Amino acid sequence: MSGSAVVQARRLPAGGRINRDQPIRFSFNGIAYQGFEGDTLASALLANNVNVVARSFKYARPRGIVGHGAEEPNAIVQLGHGAQTVPNLRATQIELYAGLQARSVGAGLSVNFDLMALVGACGRLMPPGFYYKTFMRPQKLWMTYERFIRKAAGLGSAAAEPDPDSYDKLNQHCDVLVVGAGPAGLAAALTAARSGARVIIADEQNQFGGSLLAARPTIGHQTVALWLTKTLAELHACSNVEMLARSTVFGYYDHNFLAILERRSDHLRISSPSVARQRLHRVRAKQVVLATGAIERPLVFANNDVPGVMLASSVSTYVNRYGVAPGTKLIVFTCNDNAYQAAIDWHQAGQHVVAIVDTRCNPSGVVVATAKELNIDVIGGHGVIEALGKKCLQGAVIAPLNADATAIVGATRQLDCDLIACSGGWSPVIHLSSHTGAKPQWSDAKVGFLPGESIQQERSAGAAKGTYSLLDCFSEGAYAGARAAQLAGFGNGTVSTTTPPIEELTEQPQQALFLLPHVKPVSRAPKQFVDLQLDVTAAAIELAAREGYESVEHAKRYTALGFGTDQGKLGNINGIAILANTLGQSIAATGTTIFRPAYTPTTFGAIAGRDVGDLFDPVRYTAMHRWHTEHGAEWENVGQWQRPRYYCQPFEVMHDAVKRECLAVRNKVGMLDASTLGKIDIQGRDAAEFLNRIYSNGFLKLAPGKCRYGVMLKEDGMIFDDGVTACLAENHYLMFTTTGGAAAVLAWLELWQQTEWPELDVFFTSVTDHWATATVTGPNARKVLALVCDDIDLDKDAFKFMDWRDGTVAGVQARVFRISFTGELSFEVNVAAHYGRYVWEQLLAAGAEFEITPYGTEAMHVLRAEKGFIIIGQDTDGSMTPADMNMNWVVAKNKSFNFIGQRGLTRAACQRCDRKQLVGLKTLQPETVLPEGAQIVNDPAQAIPMKMQGHVTSSYFSASLGRSIALAVVKGGLQRMGDVVHCPLADGRSVAAEIVGSVFYDPKGERQNV
Amino acid sequence: MFEARRETVLQYALADLVDKKPADAGVILREDAFIGHLNLRGNPDDAAFRAGVEATLKAHLPVKPGYWSAAVGASVYWLGPNEWLVLVAADAAADVQHNLRQTLAGHFSVVDVSGGQTIINLSGDDAGLLLKKSSTYDFHPLSFAQGRCVQTTFAKAMALIASRKDGSYDLVIRRSFADYVVQWIAIAAAEYGFAVEP
Repeated sequence: MSGSAVVQARRLPAGGRINRDQPIRFSFNGIAYQGFEGDTLASALLANNVNVVARSFKYARPRGIVGHGAEEPNAIVQLGHGAQTVPNLRATQIELYAGLQARSVGAGLSVNFDLMALVGACGRLMPPGFYYKTFMRPQKLWMTYERFIRKAAGLGSAAAEPDPDSYDKLNQHCDVLVVGAGPAGLAAALTAARSGARVIIADEQNQFGGSLLAARPTIGHQTVALWLTKTLAELHACSNVEMLARSTVFGYYDHNFLAILERRSDHLRISSPSVARQRLHRVRAKQVVLATGAIERPLVFANNDVPGVMLASSVSTYVNRYGVAPGTKLIVFTCNDNAYQAAIDWHQAGQHVVAIVDTRCNPSGVVVATAKELNIDVIGGHGVIEALGKKCLQGAVIAPLNADATAIVGATRQLDCDLIACSGGWSPVIHLSSHTGAKPQWSDAKVGFLPGESIQQERSAGAAKGTYSLLDCFSEGAYAGARAAQLAGFGNGTVSTTTPPIEELTEQPQQALFLLPHVKPVSRAPKQFVDLQLDVTAAAIELAAREGYESVEHAKRYTALGFGTDQGKLGNINGIAILANTLGQSIAATGTTIFRPAYTPTTFGAIAGRDVGDLFDPVRYTAMHRWHTEHGAEWENVGQWQRPRYYCQPFEVMHDAVKRECLAVRNKVGMLDASTLGKIDIQGRDAAEFLNRIYSNGFLKLAPGKCRYGVMLKEDGMIFDDGVTACLAENHYLMFTTTGGAAAVLAWLELWQQTEWPELDVFFTSVTDHWATATVTGPNARKVLALVCDDIDLDKDAFKFMDWRDGTVAGVQARVFRISFTGELSFEVNVAAHYGRYVWEQLLAAGAEFEITPYGTEAMHVLRAEKGFIIIGQDTDGSMTPADMNMNWVVAKNKSFNFIGQRGLTRAACQRCDRKQLVGLKTLQPETVLPEGAQIVNDPAQAIPMKMQGHVTSSYFSASLGRSIALAVVKGGLQRMGDVVHCPLADGRSVAAEIVGSVFYDPKGERQNV
Repeated sequence: MFEARRETVLQYALADLVDKKPADAGVILREDAFIGHLNLRGNPDDAAFRAGVEATLKAHLPVKPGYWSAAVGASVYWLGPNEWLVLVAADAAADVQHNLRQTLAGHFSVVDVSGGQTIINLSGDDAGLLLKKSSTYDFHPLSFAQGRCVQTTFAKAMALIASRKDGSYDLVIRRSFADYVVQWIAIAAAEYGFAVEP
């Protein structure tokens, strides 16, 4: 921070909802300033007479603050620095806090330094459609162009460091959600609350009250203030009301689901790991009241972007709410009565009103009379056609206009001023209504788009619906709240609240006016800005129409109208009106572009919530997990499970560990935590029939005590999952699935039972988590088990391969399966998971004398690949049939009821002989290990594109065989044994390999039967 | 010769928590370990099935979706139109399963899932807020009075959540997700003060 705090030259001596006893120091573009508690960054900057806050997007023109809320197009700042910096915030919505540091997003060196203006001078070379015309060719250069354009465009920058703040979400349910806490919203909330309904009322501002916070009604001010105080007190006291301040309802989605971003500590700028900086409220509301208010619409005239041209309501807001006069000599430029209030407020604050320039001929009525009574000069039938000045406003050119303000009918003259408060009327904030798909309706009477017919459980009230009288807003809000509560089941729809007894000035109709004429035609006049944020001019829209972009959606994309972070909150309606006028059609016929969420930009942090870091995705542990961590396990994530990949001993790297583990299984005995396999308990008198239909092989004759391997196909005949199923008893089975496929298989079984075969009596229950499984495998497996189990006859003839037995292992009731994924003698010991670690440790202790070795998934993969056992999802990819996997033996030929996938297998495409088939590959150089995924070709010298023959699915170095082995799918591979194929690699090498059978080790399968 | 030793599901996860007993905790967690968990499936329209279950368990079989019933020996939770969770005394699962099999006829299934699940009890003034953070279901007392239960997502895991008479909540969660769930709860509850009750 440099420089010293500057006097708040534009701060009024009194008034405003600010705490003058609490000065707050902050900096903007490196200069130190002082504001007060209650200020926004924008009001504090205006108080310090900071005119220029930005340079514009395309022309680099100096820009000042225009609005006072979400509509602000110019005062877009980068807040803070380092890890907590936030880009693209509107200064009008940033509450001032001590030490706040902000800078303009697009200004480069300085907003006052005119180098960028020179660049901006080139802007004339960027007509609408510039991107399309210039950057389409050569296409590959777009990335280069884009980098420079983005830099020039000044979109701010995201933090490069991880976000130190925390975010979370709250899932909310309510009967009535009221969006906006202005007069209509508060009346709605109060009425709904009194009915007993669960109410949430959310407002984007730090205080509730909406327009009332900035209001200085000439009559009944005290009454309105009192009403606000009492209403808020009553709402606070209601246990059925949740009041969310600093909370933007930014999206309205299907089924009355709305999203609210609550800024909890942004205004304090404190960081706490436990208290979220921002909270996303995900709301299911039975009924919604949209009381989102309206945004004042600027008028389009030449050089209307000079700092000092503001919205009339914003001038009132800065005067009344913040005690700031953003200038000294005010011209109010209007086509309606409403903006006269700005002149009255200005006058009452002791400031000089140069004139009210009203485009209507002979403006009359109470409001006009009130202004005149204050000796304010009202110039009717005139318009401001051009603003003078560059960095600050130095005057206005006004001209007499014809009755419909389309032509200049006399000589122009200049007025001296440094502030123009302009108003073209109001645009209801219909964004949320539009999110629901309701089509906005143009109203000639209101000169604005009104919410379309509701297609969800919502209604609009107040200014959001084009109702601008304060009294009408109160009563409309109250009625909407009562009606919403009634539809949600509370009250009878009658209004139980009273509106404050205030008198209002009757307003005369406004003139429908958007673009002011100039002495020159639009194409030649000084720039008349429609969209200030993206520098879209009236001339650009006319050009777009002339070039054939007549649809409003096309014109938007061609000119970038409304593409900024403000989404055209100020400019869109004027742009549509100018387009309509150019095309000679009505605004209603032209229509509007569709608003989409988010209403204002929303942080990714809030959308992610707590689902980040370790909590991004659940990690599932087995009962033996802690043992693995205590014994040096390195992990492999399988689905959501964390499985030991290998256990590193001192001085080992992965290759050493895997080799040691593999050799231990082949030569002695190893043990694997196999708890993650999916397990489904199946009961019912039709269980066998059901299994027979689900699996491609037969299951009708599986006897109790026996197990069978099975393959499941999808309807198209492609392998979906595999595993062993054991018959536990008559009509009772236990199905094992792959680790990753467990949930999908259970859903698959339920789907077929519930939708296709409800007549089959069968129930499924997941028991994956119930059982902890230790697989003891290797030549010494039986000896190990014998030491901890004395009630199962382990003799090879009494307990055969593919049998299972109940018994006691280490004193714990267990179920032991003789199934093998290594090709060795194997016992899979299952116990209730509470005993998982204990039994694991007992087996290790018993196996110590045989040097039992825990092994991980990597060794498991090598061992099964040596045996040519496939892994679903690794060797298959959803397009492989059993025949492709050389597993025709698993497809039953004569089932009475067909099985899922049977018909699919008969399709011609499934029977082609050039399908990719599973084979083994042996590299000609035994020590070379092919990368998995390597493509296979016949001739590596062939010109690109080469003819692809297939790819490597699994590849390892086999310690047992002393060479590399690979599984691959090769077109017609089963008929190509002995052929040499080639794998061209990314590094330029090509590895030659011979096609062999897929079983590398113990091809007769003798070792598992011992 | 063997002294079988069992571990609770949360044994390690709770031991890992740094600060277990802050003053004024808004959320208090307790694991109810080693309860017998039986998954029961059958046809609720079958009077014999209903009567058989209720006679064996001496508890009401809730047929209305989203309710659970408590009795001396067993609590029964509605999981689906033909599926219930039966909680029985620790280590009673085998006996109860046996008795159900003896009593029931026709199409039903009973499966012991005791090893695969545990119960987390959440109490404290802010337990309801914690649920709002973690699950999309409406846990407001008007929608989720005592005696209600719901199987729903909890963070990114699944839980059966039941409302108890004392105002606390029971979460039945799967063993493999338990460490994730506890980590989630500890972080989400930090702002309210989080305590673990032994």
